[in-house]
Amino acid sequence: MKIEVNRPAPVDIASEKSPSALSIMWRELVRDRLALVSLIILSVILLIVYGASIFLDQEEIVKVDFLAIHSPPSAEHWLGTDYGGRDVFGQLIIGARNSFTIGLAITLITGAIGLVVGLVAGYFGGWIDNVIMRIIDFILVLPFLMLVIVFVAIVPKYNVATFILIMSAFLWTGKARLIRAKTLAERELDYVSASKTLGTPDWKIILFQILPNLSSIIIVNLTLNLAGNIGIESGLTYLGFGLPESTPSLGTLVSYATNPDVLQNKWWVWLPASLLILVMMLCINFIGQALKRAADARQRLG
Amino acid sequence: MLKFILRRILIMIPQLFLLSVLIFLLAKAMPGDALTGQLAANPKMDPQTLEEMREKLGLNDPVHIQYIRWVKNMLQGDLGLSYTHQQPVTDLLAGRVGNTVLLSAAILVLTYLIAIPLGVVSGRWTNTWADKLIVGYSYIGYATPLFIFALIMLFVFGFHLGWFPTGGSVDIQVEEGTLAYYLSKLNHLMLPALSGALINTVVTIQYLRSEIIDTKVKDFVKTARAKGVPERQIYWRHILRNSFLPIAAFLGYEITGLIGGSVFLESIYSYPGLGQLFLQSIMQRDYSVVTALVMISGVATLVGTLLSDIILSAVDPRIRIE
Amino acid sequence: MLLDVRHLKVHYPVRGGFFRRVVDYVKAVDDVSFSLNQGETYGLVGESGCGKTTTGRTIIGLIRATAGEVLFEGTDLTKLSRRQFHPYRKDIQMIFQDPYSSLNPRKRVLDIIAEPLRNFEKLSPHEERKKVQSMLERVGLSADSIYKYPHEFSGGQRQRIGIARALMLNPKLIIADEPVSALDVSVQAQVLNFMKDIQQDYGLTYLFISHDLGIIRHMCDRIGIMYRGRLVEEGTSEDIFANPQHIYTKRLLSAIPNADPRERGKQTALRREVEQEYAQAYSRYFDETGRAYPLKPISPTHSVAIP
Repeated sequence: MKIEVNRPAPVDIASEKSPSALSIMWRELVRDRLALVSLIILSVILLIVYGASIFLDQEEIVKVDFLAIHSPPSAEHWLGTDYGGRDVFGQLIIGARNSFTIGLAITLITGAIGLVVGLVAGYFGGWIDNVIMRIIDFILVLPFLMLVIVFVAIVPKYNVATFILIMSAFLWTGKARLIRAKTLAERELDYVSASKTLGTPDWKIILFQILPNLSSIIIVNLTLNLAGNIGIESGLTYLGFGLPESTPSLGTLVSYATNPDVLQNKWWVWLPASLLILVMMLCINFIGQALKRAADARQRLG
Repeated sequence: MLKFILRRILIMIPQLFLLSVLIFLLAKAMPGDALTGQLAANPKMDPQTLEEMREKLGLNDPVHIQYIRWVKNMLQGDLGLSYTHQQPVTDLLAGRVGNTVLLSAAILVLTYLIAIPLGVVSGRWTNTWADKLIVGYSYIGYATPLFIFALIMLFVFGFHLGWFPTGGSVDIQVEEGTLAYYLSKLNHLMLPALSGALINTVVTIQYLRSEIIDTKVKDFVKTARAKGVPERQIYWRHILRNSFLPIAAFLGYEITGLIGGSVFLESIYSYPGLGQLFLQSIMQRDYSVVTALVMISGVATLVGTLLSDIILSAVDPRIRIE
Repeated sequence: MLLDVRHLKVHYPVRGGFFRRVVDYVKAVDDVSFSLNQGETYGLVGESGCGKTTTGRTIIGLIRATAGEVLFEGTDLTKLSRRQFHPYRKDIQMIFQDPYSSLNPRKRVLDIIAEPLRNFEKLSPHEERKKVQSMLERVGLSADSIYKYPHEFSGGQRQRIGIARALMLNPKLIIADEPVSALDVSVQAQVLNFMKDIQQDYGLTYLFISHDLGIIRHMCDRIGIMYRGRLVEEGTSEDIFANPQHIYTKRLLSAIPNADPRERGKQTALRREVEQEYAQAYSRYFDETGRAYPLKPISPTHSVAIP
């Protein structure tokens, strides 16, 4: 059995301000080699993707060229072309941009809803909490994937905004439940009682007293969710029920692999997109795991 | 305990009701109705007769009456008529359900077969090379989307190496009931089931590992060790038994994941099950089949959560209190 | 009379059975009446779970009373809406038991102590900082610690921050809920004496809640003994310690440890005697449901719960 010895850290109080939650997390992240590498790779990918997509002409890329159908990688088309003679590399860039942006949008929307609902339910408790929890319980037992597909299939005037809305309608529940549980725990602490006796209004207690204490969990949860949401989006697009065709995603490129000939013989069409999804999700997950360790003081590296 | 089960079932009733209302409304929102199929089969039907048939089938009745009729029919096993296949939806599902159940069961069995040894090894001998490998695998598996992993598996083992068939659930030539038939079924099952299980299992591995690590520093384990209980027995009697029970209970919660997974796996491996049928039906706008499938998976998920809740409460009495 | 608590009751429903109906009530505070005069310290004593903390928290409005009145300078606080209660928050403040959880770990000392100011007074940041700094010095902390976070202080220092926060609005009544029980014994006396000092300076009235009779004796002018949600004896410090009447009070007093080893035999004999009396005379002090009788005055200052 190893005994942990508490080394008193030499802290110079006069010069060193107490670190905020964010700066602790940042420090931990940089100290974790795997997470740091992930962060660098992800930043480079995003820089290239967003940088290049400014210069790429989407019209040009989606233009059909029957003279260059399924041509293998060459100097002109770095990753070859698809069944319509369209440049795969260009589609990869635009697809990655769309997938990431939409994943981020869903994460932020569901995060905001989950935060508000979770804070309100957890802080006020009582019947408000009861009603909200019953609704969440119900949404959580719905067959998510099938319902999203049905919604996508029957919604009139389907576009990116409706896709984000449909996804968000289901995905806020997990966050709301997490935030509620944490708020319930914080609410029992005396600093909340103190604020009440000091005459601080409830909304201020929620926003300025409780919320800062939840910030690290929220960041961890949003990071891990971002990876998950990119995965769900590209998966649905792969099945044909994600982003509309006017907005190509990484899933669009992968979906060409439903044609066995493409899957077997034309790897350049679907494999790069698959690997890019994989790399992005791995990076985000590694960053998220490092943040999770940082948020939990017992697991910090030092 | 009995009281808890009864109350838990009582909670399920409004959920079931809401689910059916939601799906009924969705079905109403889908373009076309029960007659669209008839119309497709017989395009020359005149509008007057069509309207009469509508009236006869009660499609002009108030919504709530239609809903009650829909539920009644469903309870009697009448899920409507598929217009693309021109046969009752119930028959259509009956022909497919076996494959999906087989695939899901195979995934579950493999999931536990992989998770238990890996989780135990990694939790018992932490920070060894084996542990680091297993943790690495679980991180990667956790991050990898199922459809990409399944595609790559199909590409490598199906097409490139040719070890497994690349589609279908059984060879056409083999005769049903023979040994060759079952072997062929198994052969077709392996790759999709393995793809599902290798991804599905990582959550259980991570759970087992952290559970064992948490338990092995608990006081009752230290006491057992201090009394001189052999290490093997400590793990078997004190640690693993405590960690395995909740895992068994998670079985019901897995159903949600399995339904979603089967949609992807069956589509990638062209495996003729309910997931594939769902995608085909929605693309062919065969909405009576879609509605039936969503309703069935909804009920399956509800029952799964119910079972898990009950098993968990039997295992861990603290849950029963609320 | 500054505070007059009349027939205060706090009951929690116990739900049971299949339909979760209310089958019983936990009577955390069961018909408690007492009053505080301007400038005095009133001690509420009792074992853990006897309802003394619930009483304190109900007076300050953190817990809703089931029945009864809490008259503060003649106004019944239990009947006020949240908004109507607001001006009274200034006058009644609380010192919490746990100096760790009662200070928000994410806030600087400045923000913690200035919180009540920001709710009641509109000050410029400069004035606010001035006020906070002078209060910090008043409670014995250095004025430049305003930018530090709570975890940089010791338990005793943190409790002083809590006291500074409570003093910011010049309250009339302070409810001190076990203010030193989380502190090291060596620090307890410091904080208690400091509380006595500021009581004189600010003309404070204390409702002092504690399970430690030694501290109560040191601090309080009058004392109420609580048991199972009810007051069983009330009187001046002199009445309670020199002339305990209720069997529960006697039992509580006999449990005070005596530091003199030569008295050990005497102490043990006394405890045994009290224990015996408790067993024999239980039915004389509690009715058949185990509930204490209402208080009856036996002298102008001293009342006991006897039939």
